[in-house]
Amino acid sequence: MTGKVDDLGRAAAVVREPVRGGASQKILTLFSLVQFAGLLLLGLLLLAPLLYGSRYVVYLGTLLALQATLAVSLNIVMGYAGQFALAHAAFYGFGAYASAIFIRDYDMTFWSSLPPTACLAAALAAAVGYPSMRFTGGIHFALITFAFGELLRLVAANLHGLTGGPQGMQLSYAPVPVLGIDFGSARGMYYLAAGVLALSMIIAKLIRRSGFGRSLLAIREDEVLAASLGIDVTAHKVAAFSIASVIAAMAGAVYGPFVGFVSPEMMSASDSISVVGMLIVGGIGTTSGPIIGTLVFVGLPELLRVAKLYRLVVLGLIIVVTVLFVPKGLAGLFGRMIPTGPQRGR
Amino acid sequence: MLDFVQTSIDGLMVGGLYATVALGITLVFGLVGILNFAHGQSVMLGAYVTFFVVSAGYPFWLGALFAAIAMGLFGALLERAVFRRTLGDPLAGLAVSLGIIMIVENLAAAAFSPDPRFVDPPVSGSVQIGPLILSSQRLLVLFVSVVLIGGFNLFLQRATLGKAIRAMAQSREGAALVGVRVPMISRAIFTIGSALAGAAGALYASLFAITPYMGATPLTKGFILAALGGLGSVPGAIAAGFLLGLAESFGSRYLSASFRDGYGFIILIFALLFLPTGLFGAGKARV
Repeated sequence: MTGKVDDLGRAAAVVREPVRGGASQKILTLFSLVQFAGLLLLGLLLLAPLLYGSRYVVYLGTLLALQATLAVSLNIVMGYAGQFALAHAAFYGFGAYASAIFIRDYDMTFWSSLPPTACLAAALAAAVGYPSMRFTGGIHFALITFAFGELLRLVAANLHGLTGGPQGMQLSYAPVPVLGIDFGSARGMYYLAAGVLALSMIIAKLIRRSGFGRSLLAIREDEVLAASLGIDVTAHKVAAFSIASVIAAMAGAVYGPFVGFVSPEMMSASDSISVVGMLIVGGIGTTSGPIIGTLVFVGLPELLRVAKLYRLVVLGLIIVVTVLFVPKGLAGLFGRMIPTGPQRGR
Repeated sequence: MLDFVQTSIDGLMVGGLYATVALGITLVFGLVGILNFAHGQSVMLGAYVTFFVVSAGYPFWLGALFAAIAMGLFGALLERAVFRRTLGDPLAGLAVSLGIIMIVENLAAAAFSPDPRFVDPPVSGSVQIGPLILSSQRLLVLFVSVVLIGGFNLFLQRATLGKAIRAMAQSREGAALVGVRVPMISRAIFTIGSALAGAAGALYASLFAITPYMGATPLTKGFILAALGGLGSVPGAIAAGFLLGLAESFGSRYLSASFRDGYGFIILIFALLFLPTGLFGAGKARV
């Protein structure tokens, strides 16, 4: 019961942020240094598979980049707007399927299949988001997206003619070369995945800094107050969900040719839960959180080298411990060790 | 016509099972305010308890009783160790239960192997009423779930603890003011909800294959039903349970069987559009 007034004040402050505008001084000091170091580290990580190039490292790097894209995009709806979207893996799978089907049945290239895939994903997200996001509190939305993810998986497993049923589809195409990069090779796909990750991080950052992003934060802090300030709460939440889902679908479209195979397994509820887990462990609403969370979730199992079942048990334990004892995630933990001026995000 | 009646009875049978799961969810979420997504794992564990008791040569009803008791204890333990710390923040409860799902499911897969198991149905054969042929096993499931639901309602109406739960549903503060020990009642509700899930697991075990990953379906359906009935509404959850059972039964008989699990979702979307506060317009907490 920490007074409602506190929350109101916080939400109002979030909305007023641009008016104060005095943060520019601090941006140039320690905060930007930490951020710069983080970006440098990320850049090094992204470059590592190119310098040290065993097939395994390139493969792992591509997988990491795609998973991190999922976490970064989920952060837009879950971290900024505070809405638990439990169908992220389903949209990932949807993108892989939709792009593959456009290429197979409509004679499209990989690149030209992307816009219609994005449009479909956005339409689907809006259709699911609107009925469930009219409610405050986010519970209905969590329930609906959870059920919706299962429904998508069910549809993929049952529309044999379109999706190949439970066995999935074999894909044998590679994106047409652009700028001399051959996407038929493992390294080419890695460039593509890293590019998608970088793009999604830029989009997330731009959203965070825009008026739209600040409105999302206000909604997260207090929906009723945000509405009273003239923010169309439902429209903002639906927009955030659609953007996040489109990015997930784009990552899925890249995943298809990367592994050469799509199956309904990709859309399972436990995969959607994993992405949520990445955000929770990394730090919801922060910039670095999704990346840290992905490193833990994808990297740790690779390091542990034990049976898959036990890796998942360990990850589950990490989620529980994080929620109970480190509610701000690892990014929040690091953030506390390094003073960074004004509190950013939650 | 015969076909219609047969389909209805099938629907009611499945509906009774769904209602039993949904009751636990709507109670725990609607009244205590804890969003426990690991509820489906209690159903799964309950099914395994039943399987092991029955495999050891004991009768089915003993397995079901054991399942309910074991899951009640399991629920009490979870509440004490984990969920109590997330009180008042449903989304934290959700996050924690996602972790618990990963732990419980995979430990179960490691301990029990992922291969499907089957429990011998406690009764076999069928009953013929006029031209109707009904499987005794399904009738038993319907009977047990109706007894569970009825017994639970009686408990809510008559028992002191039941009255305290209803008081809490109306007003948490008001109940505390007149001497209801809210934290104790919350713990009791969590335990009861989990025990109901264990009993539902026993019923599941008698109808379907048992696997470590079977928890997702009852969970999804249970939550759909809780939302459909109005979160926290007991009559809503029961009505929604039977409604979904009928819809699935008729949908798979007359439309398409492969989308059986999808009908509930479609109903829920329309319900949220047109009846946003649940079937009985209860909205929040009415018992």
